[in-house]
Amino acid sequence: MINRILTMFADSKDLITKRMKNDDISIEVAYIDSLCDESKISEAIFVPFSRNFKPFEEIVEFSSEFKPIHEMTEWASSLLRGYVLIYINSKYYSYDASRNIRIENQNTQVESSIQGPQIALTEDLKDGLNLIRNRYPEPNLAVEERTLGVSSKTRIAILFDNRRVNDKVLKNVKKKILEINADMLHSAGEIVRELGGNRKQLFPTTLITERPDRISNSIAQGKVIILIHGSMFGIILPITFYDLMNTMDDQYESFWMSRTLMVMRYISVLMTVTLPAMYISIVSYNPELFRVQLAFSIAGSRSAVPYPSFIEVLVMLFMIEMLVEASVRLPRYIGSTGTTVGGLILGQAAQQAGLVSSIMIIVTSVVAISNFVIPNNSLAFAIRFLKYPLIFLAVFYGITGVCIGMFCYLVYLSSIRSFGVPYFRIHRKPARNAEGDLGQVSSS
Amino acid sequence: MNRYFYYSFLYVLLINIMMFVPNIIIQNRYSGGISSLLLAIPFGTMLALLFSSSISRFPGKAVPEILFDHYPRWLVVPFMWMLAALYFLGSTIVLVAFSVVINRFYNPDTSSNVVLYLLIATCIYCSTRTTLSLVFALEVLIIINAPLVMFVLGKGIFTSDLDWDAMHTVANYFRMPPNLVSFAAATYIFSGYLNMSILNRALPPNFRLKHRWIIPLVGTLAMFTSIFIPIGFHGTEAVDEYLFIWSITADSMKMEYGFIERVLFLYLILYLNLTLLFTTFGWHKAMEFLKSTSKSHKPHLDPEKIPKINWIICGAFGLIAIIYSGVVNEKQNFSIATVWLIIRLFAEILSVIWICWLAYRLKSKSKFKVKGQSESK
Repeated sequence: MINRILTMFADSKDLITKRMKNDDISIEVAYIDSLCDESKISEAIFVPFSRNFKPFEEIVEFSSEFKPIHEMTEWASSLLRGYVLIYINSKYYSYDASRNIRIENQNTQVESSIQGPQIALTEDLKDGLNLIRNRYPEPNLAVEERTLGVSSKTRIAILFDNRRVNDKVLKNVKKKILEINADMLHSAGEIVRELGGNRKQLFPTTLITERPDRISNSIAQGKVIILIHGSMFGIILPITFYDLMNTMDDQYESFWMSRTLMVMRYISVLMTVTLPAMYISIVSYNPELFRVQLAFSIAGSRSAVPYPSFIEVLVMLFMIEMLVEASVRLPRYIGSTGTTVGGLILGQAAQQAGLVSSIMIIVTSVVAISNFVIPNNSLAFAIRFLKYPLIFLAVFYGITGVCIGMFCYLVYLSSIRSFGVPYFRIHRKPARNAEGDLGQVSSS
Repeated sequence: MNRYFYYSFLYVLLINIMMFVPNIIIQNRYSGGISSLLLAIPFGTMLALLFSSSISRFPGKAVPEILFDHYPRWLVVPFMWMLAALYFLGSTIVLVAFSVVINRFYNPDTSSNVVLYLLIATCIYCSTRTTLSLVFALEVLIIINAPLVMFVLGKGIFTSDLDWDAMHTVANYFRMPPNLVSFAAATYIFSGYLNMSILNRALPPNFRLKHRWIIPLVGTLAMFTSIFIPIGFHGTEAVDEYLFIWSITADSMKMEYGFIERVLFLYLILYLNLTLLFTTFGWHKAMEFLKSTSKSHKPHLDPEKIPKINWIICGAFGLIAIIYSGVVNEKQNFSIATVWLIIRLFAEILSVIWICWLAYRLKSKSKFKVKGQSESK
């Protein structure tokens, strides 16, 4: 065995191969020590073998920790996952001694909740499964394991409730997973991008989450979950637009307040998308839209600005996008400096220098803040983009253009399907009073 | 699933203003307009109920499929062509009219043609979408626009500028015998049910129309508000003098609080949405009728990829609409709308009778079958 393994692997110093012998028997052992926990190996293999209180053969045969290997093709992959290969009595066994380096901090970082569970998924697939199984103790929970990526061989697990899952969706997902033909896959985002066949889509059609409670809720709703080894995030699919606007806190807090917050979120989406375009169209096309006093004060604040409104808007939006981008990437210590310089000094000074109007600064900050209200990161990114085509339309058509653009967005959103499920459909409980659903006849 | 029926009923009902329905009836206000209105309520309701109940006997089938199943091609194909032309023309009239409204009230500096090109491009994109997508878009748009409608209506009804005496005076002419033009215009308010002729593909097999009282109630309300509020604002005589009567009426209202002072802007945004929605659906229906005449066509509610033929047909629609706008001016557009409303009334009656007859035959056949089976046993 050892010779074969040595020919299989390139010159790797961390590949350890050993031939050992005790009174009764001789074995061969191979493992990659950078992937393995040495103490585990010595405890389970070397010590019992050398002491030989009990015939090592029997230990290997009866312990569930040693799994027999039948195919030679499995050797390399199990070695690379941190397994120890053992050759004994012309039989091959593997033993899991893998050592995973991961962040031990299990607090939620991206989707924090005030009073909900604070635990997040970890980078280990097993821990993730443990968290979800604990929250969803149902025998119907199916777990399928696959590997993705030609070189990265990322392990993923597909989870769903056998009875509740939509078969059409499941089939669709499995087909798409089989079609994935990438070399390297590390993050949930990459897998999501590979799953959505149309790579130029704007809106996320899957939900990437780190919250086990969210995942178990979705399983109960009949959704499919993909967990990835080495990533702290799981993928939920299929989803609707409204799922993305939802936080877990909405389910944990009081009914009326969470509804109000939800309405506020939709209003802020509307504001962040339309405000810059509306500013252009009101200032340049229809100042008579506002009542006279307001129209005068806007015109007055713009009196020092030497160029048309759309240049003003583009300059300010470019600045705010730079600020947001910089504060995301910068390390925490410098981050606050960036925002201070950008927000306070630039904003104030630009207005006093007469480069932009003070109303424009308000518009810019409202746009940025209301964009942060969107609870899902990938949706926030998509919506951040939406305002630019509208600005373009506003430059040429004024308010008419903005409204037409919004109409197009709505139709575009309703033509999206997330794995065959309508994305923008306003949800009502289906099959109420045994009532049929839309599109039932043609799909059956 | 009833709500989808009522959504499609609602947007057609609201678009009557862009279809010059108030103009036509106001022109005939002393010569039978009011009695036509009253007559149109039972007639329109009857057509709507007959059609919706008979088409629900053909679950998952649109009008083209039903007719092609029962009749030879040479009979059905011209009918489909006619319906397609009718729907296309109707939506194009509204689109062209609205591009002029935008030019008059919103952007007087921009040429109405430039606006029209953008509207047409939008409608080409939207009407190529699948039927199911359009149904979802319809739902969202109705929900978004309903508060605006309520607001404009409420503003109109509860303002002190409304002259109830003028409305009273006009209403007193209800004894005049009805005439065809105003009758056709008035029945248009109820004609939203014809959307079922394509949307029936999406509706579930056990669909039954509930809350049927909504149809006459909402129809009557919409009819009277869209005709009498302008009369109340402008008086019995001056109301005759405007082509875009409702835009002027909305401009007569004022909001005392808030950022925006003139109701006109809200009204225009609302009708921009409704016009786009109406044209999108009109072109989509026309496209579906045209596609059904091809022999190899298989109706599909929600294809994964938009077929190329959609783009070709809708692109052609767009081109024709551009040509139409170049040839026809506002006044001509208005008189074309008048003729259109009359032709539509007859086409509507024809298709309702046809589908009813088929449904009746189907019912009696199945009864006969059941009878025959029980006898043979």
